[in-house]
Amino acid sequence: MREPDATGRTDAPLFEVEDLTFAVADRTLLQPLTARLERGRVHGLIGHNGSGKSTLLKLLAGQQSPSGGRIAYAGRPLAAWGRRAFARQVAYLPQQPPAAAGLTVRELVGLGRYPWHGALGRFTAADRERVEEAMRLTEVAGFSDRLVDSLSGGERQRAWIAMLVAQDAACLLLDEPTSALDIGHQIQVLALVQRLARGGLSVLVVLHDVNMAARFCDELIALHSGRLIRRGPSRELMNAADLQAIYDVPMAVLPHPETGMPVGVAL
Amino acid sequence: MPPVGERPEPRAGWQRPALIVLALALAALALALRDLALRLPPGQWGAALLAPDATDTRQMLVHLTVMPRIAVALLCGAGLGLAGAVCQQVLRNPLAEPTTLGISAGASLALSAATLWAPGLLAYGREGVALAGSFAALLFVFGLAWRRALSPVSLVLAGLIVTLYCGALASALSLFHRDYLIGIYLWGAGFLSQQGWGVAAFLLPRLGVAAFLIALMVRPLTLLGLDDEAARNLGLGLTGARLAALVVAVSLSAAVTSAVGVIGFVGLAAPAIVAIAGARRLRDRLVWAPLCGAALLWLTDGLVLLIPTGYREVPTGAATALLGAPVMLALLPRLRKGVLWRAEPAAAVPRAARPGLVLAAGAGLLALALWGALAFAYGPRGWSWAGLTGIAEMLPWRGPRVAAALAAGAMLAMAGMLLQRMMNNPMASPEVLGVSSGAALGVIVALFLTEAPSRVVQLAAGTAGAFAVLLGILVLGRRDAFSPERLLLAGVATSAAFGAIVAVAMATGDPRVGTLLTWLAGSTYGVDPGEAAGFLAAAAILAGLAPMLARWLDILPLGAATAQAVGLHVPRVRLVVMLAAAVMTAVPTLVVGPLSFVGLMAPHIARLIGLQRALHHLVGAAILGALLLTLADWAGRTIIFPYQMPAGLLATVIGGPYLMWLLRRR
Repeated sequence: MREPDATGRTDAPLFEVEDLTFAVADRTLLQPLTARLERGRVHGLIGHNGSGKSTLLKLLAGQQSPSGGRIAYAGRPLAAWGRRAFARQVAYLPQQPPAAAGLTVRELVGLGRYPWHGALGRFTAADRERVEEAMRLTEVAGFSDRLVDSLSGGERQRAWIAMLVAQDAACLLLDEPTSALDIGHQIQVLALVQRLARGGLSVLVVLHDVNMAARFCDELIALHSGRLIRRGPSRELMNAADLQAIYDVPMAVLPHPETGMPVGVAL
Repeated sequence: MPPVGERPEPRAGWQRPALIVLALALAALALALRDLALRLPPGQWGAALLAPDATDTRQMLVHLTVMPRIAVALLCGAGLGLAGAVCQQVLRNPLAEPTTLGISAGASLALSAATLWAPGLLAYGREGVALAGSFAALLFVFGLAWRRALSPVSLVLAGLIVTLYCGALASALSLFHRDYLIGIYLWGAGFLSQQGWGVAAFLLPRLGVAAFLIALMVRPLTLLGLDDEAARNLGLGLTGARLAALVVAVSLSAAVTSAVGVIGFVGLAAPAIVAIAGARRLRDRLVWAPLCGAALLWLTDGLVLLIPTGYREVPTGAATALLGAPVMLALLPRLRKGVLWRAEPAAAVPRAARPGLVLAAGAGLLALALWGALAFAYGPRGWSWAGLTGIAEMLPWRGPRVAAALAAGAMLAMAGMLLQRMMNNPMASPEVLGVSSGAALGVIVALFLTEAPSRVVQLAAGTAGAFAVLLGILVLGRRDAFSPERLLLAGVATSAAFGAIVAVAMATGDPRVGTLLTWLAGSTYGVDPGEAAGFLAAAAILAGLAPMLARWLDILPLGAATAQAVGLHVPRVRLVVMLAAAVMTAVPTLVVGPLSFVGLMAPHIARLIGLQRALHHLVGAAILGALLLTLADWAGRTIIFPYQMPAGLLATVIGGPYLMWLLRRR
């Protein structure tokens, strides 16, 4: 039930940014950035703390207005998108999901359907179905009637991701979706993200753990002090020199004992 | 990464606060020197201060009235500023000040009660009575919030309820004993006139001790500004630290209150002004807030002295808001996110398993109440019950009032629900935001400018006032997408200015004040059938339209980022919700006055009995608001027949205890 994007140009790149900058007072958080993101891939956004990852994500999500430069989604400037039309295309998960006082998981996930039915439209059977499916995919169905605020950190994070899935957008922007999760649930969530991408979604995800990023992302984008310094397929970026440039600490890359995948280790 | 949208923190946050304090103090000094020069040649000033010539009346006058007055203004301002800064830190709320905790309301009630029933007590000094009242109110507030480890939200909420309740009781007393209590009005308004150095000598050691104790507590206080977990993690006993800090702050402000009366707004404005000006760290605020408070009060007092005294002097305590409110409004655009306000994770709330059933029960209760209000009454021949058939006979008399109360209650409750959801703040309500005050101000202007204004003129003036406040809020809020904290502060400033004007009006002793007092307390007495029909129609239309906002109201409490992420045009949505709330406030304010607090209580009660989804919450609040005002109106007609008590006042008396019980239970 996904609509074609409003321009009808499905060949347009997902995001196109040109000379994008963001500054607060005299501090520049994002240096002029020009890049294109392709559809149907999982992009991992990595970098040190304060490198501008979250800022970039907020700019792409339309949560903040850039200080300069242009952002286009599906070939159309961000400003030209209506809020709801944009929300049908792009779903955004902030780094710290807010408290959801008095809402059950099912109700929270149901709010993800807002872009589709709006303030007055009927909450149809199809909406309900999407909500159930989203809860099943994220494995929160088991506690769907519990209050969100009564859940553990990991459960709550998955409930929020379920809301994003129910939003049924073509693109997910996730700001550290695994920060509150144990390693099992981290793998679970990222595998889900990967599965969604195989189903045609595009994903841009901020991740702290470079190994998780390498394992689940098709392509890595590395920021350093607000500047894009590396970009490439995950496997190619997993080498000692590049990792050292990204994180400013000496790194080594070892082959995984079983899969042979490169694993980065700080020395 | 630091939250984007903030300027880099300045290294030393003292230049701008210092500049503001200096500007205020210089202006005050100029006024004081001018006043002194009129009374005494400059050459004799030193002598007048230190060793006045007892035979020179002018010197004695300066020594015993002018100079102590300046000293008292400075001491009171400093004390209130310090107490306010501590309270705001402990409660993590920019709206907190000692009066938020019920202190002046408790003092005022205690004084009123003592004047009427135990005048002997006053012979021992009203300071003692006022202090006892303050601490009784404070104990009550602590008792209500104790189970939640005195958490900021529950403290502020409990303080607000106790304030309202004491205020309602005190107004009820003053309605019946206006002649006896005129002195309390004057005391309550905060006069600074002195007849000697006694008050200054009373205040100085108390301020010194409090400042010393607070200086000892700077570190725990800094930790209290973090959230509870972080503070506890750092080894701080939360309840003990909060209790100690609050007791010091409250004792200080109770001393000020008992010495000179209620001086509103300084405790709120001084810390807010220095924080907005850039005193970011707590220790900076603790230094600059008292200085700013002292300068602010001194300047206000200087300005008050400029006003030619007519029938009576204008009380300084009331005038503070007139000066402080504009200063604060002017500074609001500088308010940085996160400096004053941090959202509190909401406490776990109960949730009704079957909200539909709860609503149906509420509707049934409302129907019963309506029937009772129409049929059951106390008259010259005792209690009478009109049953079903007799209602038709009574309808022309009782109908309009019941209808007006019903409509007003429902509308105010819906307005409060909209504002609480939109701002995600339990203290938000039309009364707190100043929209009610604006409407009331319009009516007051009409009352004083025209001879016996008709109901229609009052309606027009009230509507104009409400929309003027709304317009101000809109202009002020547009710059940052109507951020809740600024709106709340602006609303509080407006309400404070309004309270000041009312207090000044009361001190004039004008006979029209009686009418005003009745109307402010909220009376349905003058409603005619045509107006009642109009109110009912307005309520029906608004209640029909409001559910269209339900989805927005479900999403808005999740914050602006989430709301935008799911496709809400946040500024536009906030504008629509605010407009709806304004209309829902302006209309009922004309019926029940600005002080009913139904808009604050009904949405809270609805939420606490478990109505969490926006639609249930909305309908439940409307039913409860209607129920509350209908019952209050009925009680007001019967309790002291043939006299009447205003419904708005009784609504607080009836709803208050229930709200307290709910708060205590959860």
